[in-house]
Amino acid sequence: MKKQSLRTLIVILGVQLGAHPALADDQAELIKQLLKRVEELERTVEALQGNRDTGTKTNYAIAQQWMQELDQKVKVLERNRELDQEEKEAKAKEALKISVDERGFAVGSPDGSNLIKLRGLLQVDSRYFINDATGNANDSFILRRARPIFEGTVFRDFDFQFVPEFGGSTVQILEANLNYRYSPEAQLRIGKFKSPVGLEQLQSDPQAMFIERGLPTDLTPNRDLGVQLWGEVGEGVFNYAAGIFNGVGDNRNASNLDADDDKEFAGQIFVHPFKKADSFFQGLGLGVAGSYGSQRGVNSLPASTGGILPGFTTDGQQQFFAYNPTSNAVVVADGLHWRFSPQGYFYRGSFGVLGEYVISSQKVHRTVTAPLTTGQIDNKAWQVAVSYVLTGEDASYKGVTPRRPLGSGGCGALELTGRYAELDVDDDAFPLFSDPATSAASAHSFTVGLNWWLNKNIRATASFSRATFKGGGGAGTTPPTIVTRQPENVVQTRVQISF
Amino acid sequence: MNFQKTRALLLKTVAAVALLSAGASAKDIKLLNVSYDPTRELYQDVNAAFARQWQAKTGEKVIIQQSHGGSGKQARSVIDGLDADVVTLALAYDIDVIAEKARLLPRDWQKRLPNNSAPYTSTIVFLVRKGNPKSIKDWDDLMKPGVSVITPNPKTSGGARWNYLAAWGYALKKSNGDEAKAREFVAQFFKNVPVLDTGARGATTTFIQRGIGDVLVGWENEAMLAIKELGQGKFELVTPSVSILAEPPVALVEKVAAKRGTKAVAQAYLEFLYTPEGQEIAAKHHYRPRLESAAQKFAADFPKLDLFTIDEVFGGWEKAQKTHFADGGVFDQLQRSNR
Repeated sequence: MKKQSLRTLIVILGVQLGAHPALADDQAELIKQLLKRVEELERTVEALQGNRDTGTKTNYAIAQQWMQELDQKVKVLERNRELDQEEKEAKAKEALKISVDERGFAVGSPDGSNLIKLRGLLQVDSRYFINDATGNANDSFILRRARPIFEGTVFRDFDFQFVPEFGGSTVQILEANLNYRYSPEAQLRIGKFKSPVGLEQLQSDPQAMFIERGLPTDLTPNRDLGVQLWGEVGEGVFNYAAGIFNGVGDNRNASNLDADDDKEFAGQIFVHPFKKADSFFQGLGLGVAGSYGSQRGVNSLPASTGGILPGFTTDGQQQFFAYNPTSNAVVVADGLHWRFSPQGYFYRGSFGVLGEYVISSQKVHRTVTAPLTTGQIDNKAWQVAVSYVLTGEDASYKGVTPRRPLGSGGCGALELTGRYAELDVDDDAFPLFSDPATSAASAHSFTVGLNWWLNKNIRATASFSRATFKGGGGAGTTPPTIVTRQPENVVQTRVQISF
Repeated sequence: MNFQKTRALLLKTVAAVALLSAGASAKDIKLLNVSYDPTRELYQDVNAAFARQWQAKTGEKVIIQQSHGGSGKQARSVIDGLDADVVTLALAYDIDVIAEKARLLPRDWQKRLPNNSAPYTSTIVFLVRKGNPKSIKDWDDLMKPGVSVITPNPKTSGGARWNYLAAWGYALKKSNGDEAKAREFVAQFFKNVPVLDTGARGATTTFIQRGIGDVLVGWENEAMLAIKELGQGKFELVTPSVSILAEPPVALVEKVAAKRGTKAVAQAYLEFLYTPEGQEIAAKHHYRPRLESAAQKFAADFPKLDLFTIDEVFGGWEKAQKTHFADGGVFDQLQRSNR
């Protein structure tokens, strides 16, 4: 019985060692030798057992000693293997954790208290305008976004993010902020980051449903500099954010310093009332957001994307409205600026719908040319966007994760999208603050698109947008009049990699 | 008694209990003693006795938490931020490193308490299997071919360094200070070691529970404890003719204790180890007491042998560490030549 146990032990040990290639090479030969010796001993013991009755006790004692020696060798091997394993485990605990996967490149300390991640976003677009007027925006390929994303954690509770932007026409620091995670419910972020107002604006760039965000985003702040208290209560049932910022014009990114002494308060409350319930409305999210502050100067008016003067843009990033009064007058922001936005979304299975309404009210002042007057301009916009994932995956605010990525036996996920949006400029803007002959008083846009999520990192998108305008379209060869002279019909494509 | 009176009384009682509990917990003092592997049982008793004495003296409740591990590893944890009020380690060198690298206590910490801050001592002895089948009586017997010796790795274990230095010191004495012979002796010693555990407790496990080896070289207190608790009647203690006086030191981690407001109680805790009660507890846990009265009381428990100190033979811990255990030192050289 003892012989059998010993042989079994050696065999088990041999199998275990075989499972560890590093050990197997060194010790396989030793195991073979041990097995050979066991066989020899077995023969000896059998012979001795036969001779025991005849009184050859000396030989029996020698055999017993051999057995003991062999037993020791096996035990030593086994113990050394245990110690090797313990050492490996100890080293693994102390080793840096390095990972390279679909979420980027990360190096972390063994206890997870310190972590550095390198992520990135690249979006290459094309735009083709159908039946556009001469002098209109160019049909072109565009490097829309090109961002290395550096982020991480230090001392367990402090997260940081640094995102330069190399896409578009200028290089800028898009985000640079430090976040103290006291708890999921109470976090404090300071630096440059998105102001908590626009629902679609707050959606991460690689996960946004369309190539370009809708008209309401023209009225919400983009990245701003400030400090914000925020958190998720009840595992995301109740979300809040409230902060004080330098304040930026609609759809503007902040520069790295403030142009005036005025500040802006911004905040958002967003709830998922049925998140923890087994309900049809589990994917329902409702919220309100807004800002209140004072803004002055021309740079506190909306972004000048697609034109020269501050104004609003279409899906094709052409300017359809500008603060461009006649007679060489200049319009600047001159005080109170507030925004209010009820918003919400609903996702169930493959279906999703997102809607928001925004009103942005800015006090403006006409300078240089009489009449030098002021006005409070209330601009309004709204949109409803729907999506349906044709391949059956779940639609969500955070994009679509293909169930069967391309190259892994599947073809990725296909998502059909559609949106209708309107932006209405305050009648009081005309004619003292904007030329009604060139700027549109309102824009109406619909978009249909198809997102092909090849995998978690790569997405290809194609869309068609048509925008129609009321007003504008007069003489001239620059935006906004050249844009508003006819409806905008634009086909856009995007190839995106994000990790 | 009507309902309202009952409710009022109940509320008052709850409030009083709450206030009393808040008062009591506010006075609780917590100490962390970061120690090495074999002192678990010793400090369990020391902590209970000191807590009783401190409460009787001051009315304050003191809770002493223990942390145990390899001595060097424990020192690194303190350097890395483990808030130890006191350290009670295997080697003075490990506390020197804390003083030098983290500056949490003065460099002359060893002068702050009597007997080089070592309230009790031990030595290095042998534990053999019942009947001493390999007839091991002294260090020379460990060199014989076929004798399997269990000792942990001096690179990772404070206890193992004492074992190594004890063997080296014996060889030096025997050869009248011939370093080459001492080196040869220790090289042969480690040739007979089939398993190098990372700590003293691991080596004890290897010898007692796994049944490996003919002799375990280790702390006297650990060997006595092993006989008592793990292998009654299965093992025997062998005391060599010569061994080293092991002086496990204790120290107040001054900066941590000051920050936590525990300096007075932590200092009193260490001083308690020198009192007759503390010394008796140490002796009961097989550590050799310093106090004469306790040493006499427990004299029969500790075999007499010729003991040398690390200062006498090696010129102190710093020098011994640098010569023998630093990377590329004598131990590394011996291990390479033994391969």
